[in-house]
This record gives sequence, structure tokens and C-alpha cells, in this order.
Amino acid sequence: MWWKILLFFWIAALSVIGIVTPIAGDLGSVAMFAQMDKAKTVPIKFTIVDKGRAATEEEGGGWLLRGRDVHDREADFHFAAKPDGLDGAEGYLAVARYDNENHRVEVERVSGAYPAFSFPLIPGLEERAKIIFFHVPMAWMTVIAFLVSMWYGIRYLRKKDMDDDFRSAASAGLGLLFCILGTTTGSLWAKFNWGSFWNWDPRETSIFVLLLVYGAYFALRSAVEIEEKKATLSAVYSIIAAATVPFFIFIMPRIMPGLHPGSADDSNSGPVMSSGGMDAAMRVVLYSMLAGYIVLYGWLMSIQMRVHRIKLRRAEAAA
Amino acid sequence: MIRQAFAVFSKDLASELRTRYAINALLMFVIVTLAVIMFALAGESMSPGALTGMLWVVMFFASMSGLSRSFVAEEERGTTMTLQLLATPTAVYLGKLIFNLVLVIVLNLFIIALFLLTMDQFVVNQFGLFWLVMLLGSLGIASATTIIAAIIARANTKGTLFPVLSFPVLLPLLMAGINATKIAVEDVRWDAVWPDLQLLGSYIVVITTVSFLLFDFVWKD
Repeated sequence: MWWKILLFFWIAALSVIGIVTPIAGDLGSVAMFAQMDKAKTVPIKFTIVDKGRAATEEEGGGWLLRGRDVHDREADFHFAAKPDGLDGAEGYLAVARYDNENHRVEVERVSGAYPAFSFPLIPGLEERAKIIFFHVPMAWMTVIAFLVSMWYGIRYLRKKDMDDDFRSAASAGLGLLFCILGTTTGSLWAKFNWGSFWNWDPRETSIFVLLLVYGAYFALRSAVEIEEKKATLSAVYSIIAAATVPFFIFIMPRIMPGLHPGSADDSNSGPVMSSGGMDAAMRVVLYSMLAGYIVLYGWLMSIQMRVHRIKLRRAEAAA
Repeated sequence: MIRQAFAVFSKDLASELRTRYAINALLMFVIVTLAVIMFALAGESMSPGALTGMLWVVMFFASMSGLSRSFVAEEERGTTMTLQLLATPTAVYLGKLIFNLVLVIVLNLFIIALFLLTMDQFVVNQFGLFWLVMLLGSLGIASATTIIAAIIARANTKGTLFPVLSFPVLLPLLMAGINATKIAVEDVRWDAVWPDLQLLGSYIVVITTVSFLLFDFVWKD
């Protein structure tokens, strides 16, 4: 019992951490942002090096302050007026933009204290980067559930145990659920980040194919009435589908140009695919979330199995 | 085993030639589909690339309407049991595979001939490559659909489920095939088509191997 409560808090806490943790840039990413969009302000975290001084007329007036980012790079932070209350702490989170002409950071406002735990600012993603904690584990679970379903299919063909067939079907059902959730979250996100709900990016194609495979699997199961025949045919079909699915999931998204990270034309190292490319804090949250999802999947599988056993016992008692 | 397989194939061929049910229905299907396309596109000018897509659509649906026939007919005539007794599963699979292969090649030749005759804008620049891709495509379609036809026949569902089950399995073949045909039609250099040809080749090998291994389970009760 205790582990179910733990699992609940694990996933809930990670969801809250994933959503609430602030995004904070460094000088590099803020400068990169300025090249894309001059007027837009983004969050940046910095520590104060000196108390600052009043800026001269040529410098545009206001207040200049020396600040240092997480990578120990220093730059001038320019405030419209002398900020008050910046004396207490050493570091702050500010909303700012980089001024390429004067090579200094224009601070719009100070939004809070220096966050010890934050996610990096990724140009083009910003707050939207946080979808990775929800969408990516769902997509992984879709594939894992499919492989488990195929594994039990193979076991059924070897041992002809009806329990294996039920596990195979139950896993496919959970896989379909995760597939629908992953497709929906990804599609909604794509509308806000890429401009349309569906772009036929290679990974979108791959999740669509998995959706079709799951649909075909259940269509086949519902078409056959004899239990043993149903089990054999659906096991065979899931193995045949598994011969083509790796091509879509593992090969095509990496060799073809696309929108997802890790595509062939991905210039900024593909933060999701290569473990070195992603920020350590994000990686920890993502993998913890994935572990939570896997345990959740195992729990749902065992619930389905127990329900199935009870139904079988009732049918026996009635007969 | 080869002799048994060949016997299964010649049995299927003989019974097909006697009634000409599948081949007549399929050829009419192709003519009707092309007529629909031509009416729908009357007066429109289509790029060769778009027509390549059309060609594959016709090829896909023609295969979908015809290739489940060889196994479904056994169930309808009630001859499955006899065949199970007389031939090994491998021989049955091989015989049916060869029959489907011949059927799909005849069918695709007919579709391509009609396409070249009726669509003025469909001009193929590299005929050697074009025929190679068509041959590989036919091989792939036949090898992937034969095992699914067997599943369909055993599931007693006749036609409706066949395209549903086949499409996800055929999709890598369709994508590579359409891409390679486009290259052959629009005349890009040979090395551009090499990844697609590799993919078609490996697809055929993988799907035929898996089918051979799994056919026993589908065929035996």
C-alpha cells in the first residue's frame, strides 16, 4: 500500500517541480535570443559583483551594475533607475533583454531572488520546454507498452498460456492510452510552438503509425470470437508490426530532417536524444518522471490482471 | 518442399485461370479507379510528382482489394483442412507467396501501362530505375500482404480488415517506394535513390523472414 501513496506523491511532486521551477537564462542564451528578437525580454539569473554606479548621459542614464551569470561570465546590467532593495541578497532573477549595440543587459524588472534550482533558457522554447517532462515519458511508455505486448505475444505462442495473451492485450490497451495522451499533448504543443497542430514531422509520423498499429490490433481482436484463435492471430500481428515499427520509432526520426530534437538537421545537438546535450536538472526530473510512469504502468497492469482473475473466477462460479 | 510449393502455386493458378474471378475483378477495379481519377482531374495539369503519388494510391488499393483472395478462397471453399493435411505450412506459404507475387506483378504492369497511356503528363525519365523500383515494390507488397491475408482468412472477416491491418505494416515500403519512384520520374542522379533502394531491399528480407517464421502459428489450428 505504502508504495502506491509514494508513487502518487512522486508523480505529483515531479509534475509540480516540472511546472513551477523557473526558467532562467545565462548571458549566452540571452544574447542568442536578442539575435532572434530584439524587443523580447527573457528571464536571466545573475549574481552581483559590485554595488554599481550612476550611468552617464552617453550611457543612457539610469544605473549600471556589474553582474555575473552561472558560467562566471560578467556583463553590465543596465537599470532605468537606481534599483532599491538590491543590497540584501547577492543574486537575482530578472526579466531582461540583451542590447547588442552597447553589449550590456537591459533589465526591465527584477522578478525575484536568485533561484538555486532552475531550468536553462532554450531559445525558441522558453517556458514551453517544460512539456518534455510529460510528453516524452508518455511517448516512451507508448513504445515500451508495445514491446511488452509483443513480448507476451511471443510467450503466448511458445507456451499457449491464456494469461500471457491477456497481459499482451492489457499492455496494448495501456499503450494505446499513452499513445493518445502523447499525441494530444504533442499536437497541442505543436500548435503553440510550430504553428499548426500537425506537421508530418518524422516523429509525428511514427506516433501516428503506432496509433494505427494499436487500432488494427484491437480491430483484429474484436473480429475473432474463439479465444485461442484471437490470441494466436493478435500475437502474430503484433510481431509482424514490431518488425516495421523500429524503423519508424528509432531510425527514420534520426536520419530525416524534422522538427523534433535529434533530427538529421538538428544543429543544436538535440537536447533530448544525446544525454550530453540536456541540462542536468532537466535530465534528473525527466528520468525520475519516466521511472514514475513505468511504475504506474506496472501498477495498472497488475490491476487489470487482478480484475481479469476475478472475472474468470465469477464466470467459473456461475457455470 | 519446393515441389510442394510449386504444386500449391500451380493449383492456385489453375483455379484462377478457370474462373478468372480475381484477375477480371482486379482489372476492372483498376480501370474504374483510373476513370475516377481522370474524371476528377479533367482539365487539370498535374505535376509528374503528384501523378507518382496517384500511381501508388492505385497500386495500394488494387493490392488491398485483390491479394487477400488466395487465402480467403480456401476458407470459403472449405479446402483449408485438406491443404493442411497435404502440404507443409512452409510449402503452402511459399506457394501462396509466389501466386500473390505473380498476381501483383501482372496487376502493377497493367496499372503502369494504363497510366503511361492515359496520363500525358506522366513522363518517366529513368526507365531502368523505374522498373527496378516497381519490381521491388511489387515484391514488398506481395511478401507483406501474404501473411496478413492468412491472418484475415483465419479471422473469418473477409475484406474490410485487410487494408486496416496492412497499412501500418506496408507504410515503410510505401514511403520508400513513392520517394524512389519520384526520383526516377523527375530524373535525379542514381545515388540519391540508393537509401530508398536499401530500405526496400531490407524491408523485403525482414518481412519475408518474419512471415516464414510465423506462418506455422497462423496456419495450424
